[in-house]
Amino acid sequence: MEHAVREEQGKLVVSFQGEVDLEHSPKAREVLLGAVKKKQDVLVDLSEVSYIDSSGVASLVEAFQSSKKAGSSFGLVSVNPAALRVLELARLDRVFTIHSTLAEGLGGGS
Amino acid sequence: MASFHGLEQRPDVTAQIQRARALTEVRVPTEVRASSDTPKLDVDGTHSLEDAFELLAEMTQDFASSMDLDATLEKALASVAGHLDAEAGSLWLLDLEAEQISCRACVGPNPIVGMTLGMTQGIVGRSVMENACQSVFDVSKDPAFSSKADDESGMVTRSLLCAPMSFSGRKIGAIELINKKSDDGHFAQKDVHPLQVLASSAALAIANNRMAASLVDAQRVRRELELAAEIQRNLLPRARPDPFPIQGMNIPARTVSGDFFDILPVDGGLAFCLGDVSGKGINAALLMAKTASLYRCLAKTVSRPGDLLRQLNDEICETATRGMFVTMSAGVYDPRTGLVCLANAGHEPAVCHAEGGFTTFDAEAPPLGIVPEGDFPETELDMRGGSLYIFSDGLTEAADESGDQLGREGLERLVCDFEGVALAERVSAIVESVSMLDLRDDLTLLAVSDEHARAERGGGA
Repeated sequence: MEHAVREEQGKLVVSFQGEVDLEHSPKAREVLLGAVKKKQDVLVDLSEVSYIDSSGVASLVEAFQSSKKAGSSFGLVSVNPAALRVLELARLDRVFTIHSTLAEGLGGGS
Repeated sequence: MASFHGLEQRPDVTAQIQRARALTEVRVPTEVRASSDTPKLDVDGTHSLEDAFELLAEMTQDFASSMDLDATLEKALASVAGHLDAEAGSLWLLDLEAEQISCRACVGPNPIVGMTLGMTQGIVGRSVMENACQSVFDVSKDPAFSSKADDESGMVTRSLLCAPMSFSGRKIGAIELINKKSDDGHFAQKDVHPLQVLASSAALAIANNRMAASLVDAQRVRRELELAAEIQRNLLPRARPDPFPIQGMNIPARTVSGDFFDILPVDGGLAFCLGDVSGKGINAALLMAKTASLYRCLAKTVSRPGDLLRQLNDEICETATRGMFVTMSAGVYDPRTGLVCLANAGHEPAVCHAEGGFTTFDAEAPPLGIVPEGDFPETELDMRGGSLYIFSDGLTEAADESGDQLGREGLERLVCDFEGVALAERVSAIVESVSMLDLRDDLTLLAVSDEHARAERGGGA
């Protein structure tokens, strides 16, 4: 799993590539919590994530819960179809705000 | 002392000497650092090399045969100090986390075992950090010298010889000899070899000892995990023989499981559930134990699965940590009517096999432990003499040699293969077939069958 963090229009965009599984989710957690700690709005780009397991989803959940406490927003953007299927099946699309594109997440419409 | 020729006639000792020579040869390039005013050292090492071989043979034997590392280190230190005619000697171990070195063994008039120095403090600290031998003729002229040990022991250090200990490139510590009693009070170049030899075998013995200690630790953790697994197994309901209409099976991917299921009689029928905690390992197992216990407690008084999941969700949300959550299907089956009332919190869709066809029931709410005060809609299904299968994703994600996952279609094929087989036998046959594949996660299957109850109700085939 690779990751990158950049700032766009005042929001932190965290992107992951590859598999966010049991082996890599501690790193994903560290990156996500680090981003949320900055008290900025966070968008997580999952377009290059081919597989996410429950430990990876738990990292997203924890970051989402932390952002709620911090009063900042947390959204997922461009979720890869395989990962989206996992999220939808578990009805996590009712928990996370999911934007179909980065532009939409940044507030510029889809 | 045995002569070199005498030793060569004994093959075991010869091999040992060859190993020692290799060890010593590796060590020879190690930098010997000396104070600027140290007199030129005697570089004729032949005699000390022979001594070193004998010392090594003795020390290797001691290190290999003794389980008491401290006693062996002290004995080896005493023999090398005696051999090199030093007044005192000490062995120091590095603690990188605490950034300290501490005295683990010593010989001499006043013991300083347990004394600590900063890891870069003193000539011994320099030897450890630079991984280089140190030979100092007059310590009063070396600014690196720390008098802390002298203050504690009451000794006066004049000259000093120090060799670092390392293993596989990792710094372990150093051995220090103090005050040569003969030869004008100076340690010579030929004294370096025996000390290096001791340092090498002591480093090996210490590394072995640490490895053995971590093995003991790993065994203890393993025993504790096995105990935890036993307690977990007892949280699952006991198997009831056919024709009992609900059967379940759980196979953990590791020692402990993050999956669970339960079956218990309640007013209005039989309550059942299957849960899967996010992640794996002991943290998932602990949340599994908590959720399973809460379920059992709540199911006795809360009859509707949707209400039960709502209460369970609120309880788990209160103490949730690290984003962990539980996907769970819970239901109540009434054998008198053949109806199942089902609620699904983010879990894999349940599959109903009735009258030759399959119907799936998707989750209508997110998993437990994420958002409190949620709503968990219920679905009512008429079993019509069929069977309902609820399973964890460990079953559908089991993969064959080429990595192809079983999937829901694979499960449906297995259900058809074992159609007509009594339920308990069918569940174990399906689980056994799936177990032949590569399991990446805990595997749990629960099945509710209306076949027997329908026959008793007198329903048509």
